[in-house]
Amino acid sequence: MLQIQEVTKVYEGKVTTRALNQLSFEVEKGEFVAVMGPSGSGKTTLLNLISMIDVPTSGDIVFNGKRPRQLNSKELAYFRRRQLGFIFQDFNLLPMLTVEENIILPLTLDEQPVELMEDRLAALAEKLGLENILQKRPNEISGGQAQRTAIARALIHSPSLILADEPTGNLDSNASREVLELMSQINQEKQTTIMMVTHDPIAASYCDRVIFIKDGEFFNEIYGDERRQTFFQRILNVLSLLGGQVGDFSTIRLP
Amino acid sequence: MTFQQFAYHNVFRNFRNYAAFFMASFFSVFVFFLFSMLMFHPEIENGFIGDISFTGMVMAEVVLVAFSCFFIFYSLKAFLEVRSKEFAILLHLGMEMKQLGKLIFIETMTIGFLSSVSGILFGFAFSKFFFLIIRELLGLEKLPLYLSWPPFILTFAVFMGAFAVISLVSVKYTEPPKLGVLLRTRYGDQRVTYSKKGAIWGVLLLAIGYGLALMTTRMTLMFSMWIPIFITFGTYYFFSDTIFLILDLMKSRKKFYWYKARMLSIAQQYVMMRQSARMFFVVTMVSMLAFLCVVSLAAMSSYTAQYDRLNPLGIVYKGHVDNPYEHEHINRLMSELEDGEFSYHMTRFQVVKQTSAATSNEVEVFRETDINRMLFSYGLSLVHLDEGEAMFIPSTEDSIQKLEGLVVDTVLIENDIAITINQVYPAIIFPVGIISQNAIIISDEDYQSLRRPLQDNGEVPYYHLFAFDIPNWLEAKNIGLSIQQLVSQEYIINTEYSLPFYFENNGSNYSYILAMYALFTVIGVLAVIVFLLAAGSFIYFKFYANMETERQQFIALRRMGLTEGEMKRIITRHLAPQFFLPWGLALVHSIFVFIALQTLLKDVMNLIIINETIIAFCVFLVIQIIYFGLIRWRYIAHMKE
Repeated sequence: MLQIQEVTKVYEGKVTTRALNQLSFEVEKGEFVAVMGPSGSGKTTLLNLISMIDVPTSGDIVFNGKRPRQLNSKELAYFRRRQLGFIFQDFNLLPMLTVEENIILPLTLDEQPVELMEDRLAALAEKLGLENILQKRPNEISGGQAQRTAIARALIHSPSLILADEPTGNLDSNASREVLELMSQINQEKQTTIMMVTHDPIAASYCDRVIFIKDGEFFNEIYGDERRQTFFQRILNVLSLLGGQVGDFSTIRLP
Repeated sequence: MTFQQFAYHNVFRNFRNYAAFFMASFFSVFVFFLFSMLMFHPEIENGFIGDISFTGMVMAEVVLVAFSCFFIFYSLKAFLEVRSKEFAILLHLGMEMKQLGKLIFIETMTIGFLSSVSGILFGFAFSKFFFLIIRELLGLEKLPLYLSWPPFILTFAVFMGAFAVISLVSVKYTEPPKLGVLLRTRYGDQRVTYSKKGAIWGVLLLAIGYGLALMTTRMTLMFSMWIPIFITFGTYYFFSDTIFLILDLMKSRKKFYWYKARMLSIAQQYVMMRQSARMFFVVTMVSMLAFLCVVSLAAMSSYTAQYDRLNPLGIVYKGHVDNPYEHEHINRLMSELEDGEFSYHMTRFQVVKQTSAATSNEVEVFRETDINRMLFSYGLSLVHLDEGEAMFIPSTEDSIQKLEGLVVDTVLIENDIAITINQVYPAIIFPVGIISQNAIIISDEDYQSLRRPLQDNGEVPYYHLFAFDIPNWLEAKNIGLSIQQLVSQEYIINTEYSLPFYFENNGSNYSYILAMYALFTVIGVLAVIVFLLAAGSFIYFKFYANMETERQQFIALRRMGLTEGEMKRIITRHLAPQFFLPWGLALVHSIFVFIALQTLLKDVMNLIIINETIIAFCVFLVIQIIYFGLIRWRYIAHMKE
């Protein structure tokens, strides 16, 4: 459903940098994909290109057979609010809105009826365990709760693709596990396609497939298997091959 | 790096952060300096500047300083709040609170020094232009630029003093921040607490104030005095509580609230209102005063013509029949008029008081010939009365209509003279308050037979009235100054007027009114300038300080699919209340106050000011809209960067 075709992105500036270089891969419907790579490998650039915040210097991004690049800015905004869901590292919840209001925000932008919003909100809140904090403000809830709120916000309009940028980067290990399990559960139950950019091999091990990029180029990809622990081990192996800054990664090894 | 250097680098290397505070201070200094230039103007002692007294100017200056200080204090507080995270880092690194205080003090003084110097320089550069405006405004012949030390020294000293005091006070009242909380939190506290009681009080007080204003007549003056108090407290509660109740009501209607980007706008207002409620309150009240001042000025233009019509006489001297000074005073007035080379026409009246049988009230009786002598000098049509006929002398323009067509048969009891009052003179011939409201003209024949005076009840049965008709009455304002002083003293010293004579010089009254207006206008205009510039720059730079966070929010929202049009709409809704809510409320307040004033003034001096009011309001509105457009444009440009 998502095809990245020979995408190159060059940043012109005082120093010209090639953030992505002829990167190609595909994401199937219902897949949970992780993109990994050391700092500066172009992960965030890739995410920006897919979410159409940025335009590739060359190459194409095809979404469900359509090229969003050809849309004008208004159509693009509508495309984003209907087809894409976002989960950010620092949650990006709006501080002046309550949890409930943050969650339904994408639907209000799209002028959906209030009944529909309430139905979906109730269903999601129950599923993500947010019923008790719906009336609270983002500064009154924990990091894990904030990220679950952000996930609810990414899901409420049933987008065809969820883009997650380091969703566990600001969370402790318990909250991380909760969030990742939630994401993989949603992926399995609803067949939602999720693409996650991460540093964290534990986070990556929850996925179906991990794509590695290095210096903006495709490096390797591995598919998950039955046991998460062995998948994690294999991810670590690739990472050690990748070189880069191994210090970025945690050295915990699960038994 | 010494401590001073550290503070100095702080200021100069992130000037952008300090810009808000700098601009607010700069504008305050700028306006203060302009006013000082006017105050110390060498011509002012010659009474050149529309008779504005030096004391009045000093009082205005004090008011201006008070407002400026409030603004600087408020900006500094906001500025320190924005930087609380920076302070937390410094404290974390081991800085003492005392050192932090010293740092803030040095920084504030640096900014203060810079803004004082640049404000004075800019002020001096603009003073020529400012004098030009004042000259036009007050209708002066010339107001030359001058150069002397006092305005420079005063401005510099006052503001450096103010900065020192303000920084010390705000340092003293800054609580040591809770480090852990400050370093960790992403968002500030967003909760708003307000009382429903206060919200209802706000609406109630405003409603009472408005209601009183609508019901004002001359009779209810005692109640009308309370209008400002009701409105002031109402406004305070309105901004501290009512606004939040209204926003909460909006929020509770999901169909309305959960629609498009409305949720964002309304929630944003909530936060913003909490931050600036107090400032909005002050801006509203001051804007209202400014409106009143400017509208009064606008009314002045039509006032001169009306004043002439309502006060047809240049000088009036009224004395008891046994007034020992009469001869001396009239001679003095006449010789002063002749020395001043004024052409004038004096009419002497002997006014007789009688009792009317129809109402058993006292009436003042004028002789036909005397009145005609005066009417002749006015160039108005003369009066012709037969025996037994009489004519009303109207005291106000309204009374002309009221007395029109009224026929009263009555008898002057003391002398048993039957008369029929069947006419009214169609213009005002005596200034308000000089003659009684029951004044009539009778024929010379009837006047001859008025032999017996008013039945004695302590009243003086006759009085003499000397009416001076002076075509150049505006210039004759200094005639009879010594007599005027006696009258004013009597008013100040004694509660009951006991002098045997009364004197009124309309030229000096008018110039006194004009000077009062001019003073209020200058203060009003300056206050408007301070608030327009300082409030506007303050709002803008407050955004400037929060811009990074706001931009992050907009980036996130754009990712979620916010169109550019929606973003602009959100920004418009975010900015508009800051610009138009305080002003709009001030406008509504002023309209009601004007309705009250209009009724009061109509009774007292027949002044119609509706047109001037509308024009003044429109000018304000246009300025505000331009200002809003300008800031919105800059803000959108920043957000799209």
